[in-house]
Amino acid sequence: MISFENITKIYPPNIVALEDVSFEIKKGEFVLIVGRSGAGKTTLIKLLLREEEPTRGKIFFEGEDVFSIPRKKLPFYRQKIGVIFQDYKLLPTKNVYENVAYAMEVMGAGESEIKRDVPKVLELVGLEDKAYNFPAELSGGEKQRAAIARALIVRPEVLVADEPTGNLDPYHTKDIIDLLQKINNFGTTIILATHDRDIVNSLEKRVITLEKGRIIRDEEKGELLF
Amino acid sequence: MFTPLKRIISYGFKNFRRQPTLHIATVFILVISLSLFSSLLLFRSGIKYIVAEIQKKIDVSVYLKKEAPQELVEEIKKGLVGLEEVEEVEYISEDEALKEFKERHKDDPLILESLEVIGENPFYPSFNIKARSAGQYAAILTFLERDKFKDAVLKVDYTKKQPLIEKIFKITSSLNLGGLLLTIFLGLIAVLVTFNTVRIAIKDASEEIAIMKLVGASNWYVRGPFIVQGVICGVLASIITFLLFFLLSYFSAPKIVALTGGFNIFAWFGAHAFSLFLFQLGLGIGLSVLSGLIAIRKYLNV
Repeated sequence: MISFENITKIYPPNIVALEDVSFEIKKGEFVLIVGRSGAGKTTLIKLLLREEEPTRGKIFFEGEDVFSIPRKKLPFYRQKIGVIFQDYKLLPTKNVYENVAYAMEVMGAGESEIKRDVPKVLELVGLEDKAYNFPAELSGGEKQRAAIARALIVRPEVLVADEPTGNLDPYHTKDIIDLLQKINNFGTTIILATHDRDIVNSLEKRVITLEKGRIIRDEEKGELLF
Repeated sequence: MFTPLKRIISYGFKNFRRQPTLHIATVFILVISLSLFSSLLLFRSGIKYIVAEIQKKIDVSVYLKKEAPQELVEEIKKGLVGLEEVEEVEYISEDEALKEFKERHKDDPLILESLEVIGENPFYPSFNIKARSAGQYAAILTFLERDKFKDAVLKVDYTKKQPLIEKIFKITSSLNLGGLLLTIFLGLIAVLVTFNTVRIAIKDASEEIAIMKLVGASNWYVRGPFIVQGVICGVLASIITFLLFFLLSYFSAPKIVALTGGFNIFAWFGAHAFSLFLFQLGLGIGLSVLSGLIAIRKYLNV
């Protein structure tokens, strides 16, 4: 489904973020990308979303060369990939319901469709009681669940999570990881970037380990060793 | 097609309601800008009125000799009417002058009596000439001083008015220039202050704009609500300014009439109310929306 082919990214003047990275992710997989801060996890995600261009190499999404997609079609490509971030990136002036609905609106969904889908997805992430609260009134875990709801509402094929639990306590962390597993069980491919040892070791999923921009390990049921 | 528009408008109103302080501050800055522009407009109208009033009062009288040949008088009149500097020429015969004099002093028996004593009509026929502007009397004077008119022209009553005319001419032209410079200068300040206020408000929302883009919103879907907010601010500001000027002109009208010798600001306001409101509305909406569009550009290029 997704394949990275010899991706190298060098930020000027000569900071090597990724070097000759190649791997493949199958549909419905749950993949962890691990490594210390600065190992290149975020760069990898940015390249997948085409927020950055690689210095060398190619990325294919369902057989299509990501970097030759015309600019006009880019939004349609990005719709296939849901993203959640460490800092949630919720719209502060909109309540939970509107935050989730906004993602549907920009895709041009109709009012009836929104009224049908948003409550469902809020129920899935367990936020049905907080629909009319603003982000400032939510706990960290609730904010991340709202962000997940927003990512899911457009039915992405892949959900990319960049350190989604970085700001959360262990209790809420487990909450979010359980939710991601649930989503994965529905068939959505999950790419989870993290450096949380407990998450990696408890999940027993495929782990791709990055160090200084290179893949040093790629193993099924991997562990975080350092 | 209409759904996105409906959503954009509804978000514009929601955002306005949810951030009242920010928007009220913007509205008041706009009110200041609009008031400034409107006062400049009023000021210029006032000046125009005063200048016109003064110019109406300036004229040149040419007194003709009683024995002046009729053809020559006709020639002078024709020549004067033909001059492009001349707005109006009025011939006053000696009888008319006498009649007017008697009319003006009909309550003063002493003056009328002394007229009787003289026995004959002491007045001369004359031309009353009005120029189109205060600066053009010199040209008219040159025309009247021609040698061939010597037999008809007794006296040109201009020289004694000359310093006054020139002074007024100088004052009015410098008032016009000053008003224009003031308009440009203060207008520039008003625009900059408004732009800066809106820019700060949008900078406040820059993170939000980035998130909207990230979620996949098109540039127009992001801009839309800000435009709606700008329109709301502009409309509110123009209504407030209009009411402010209504009250201000109503209460200051008597004083300004006394000060300017007849310029009735409230009557002016009444006559121009509709166009003034349109001007304020257009300027208010234009200023806030345009500032918003310029300010938001920076954050849309993600």
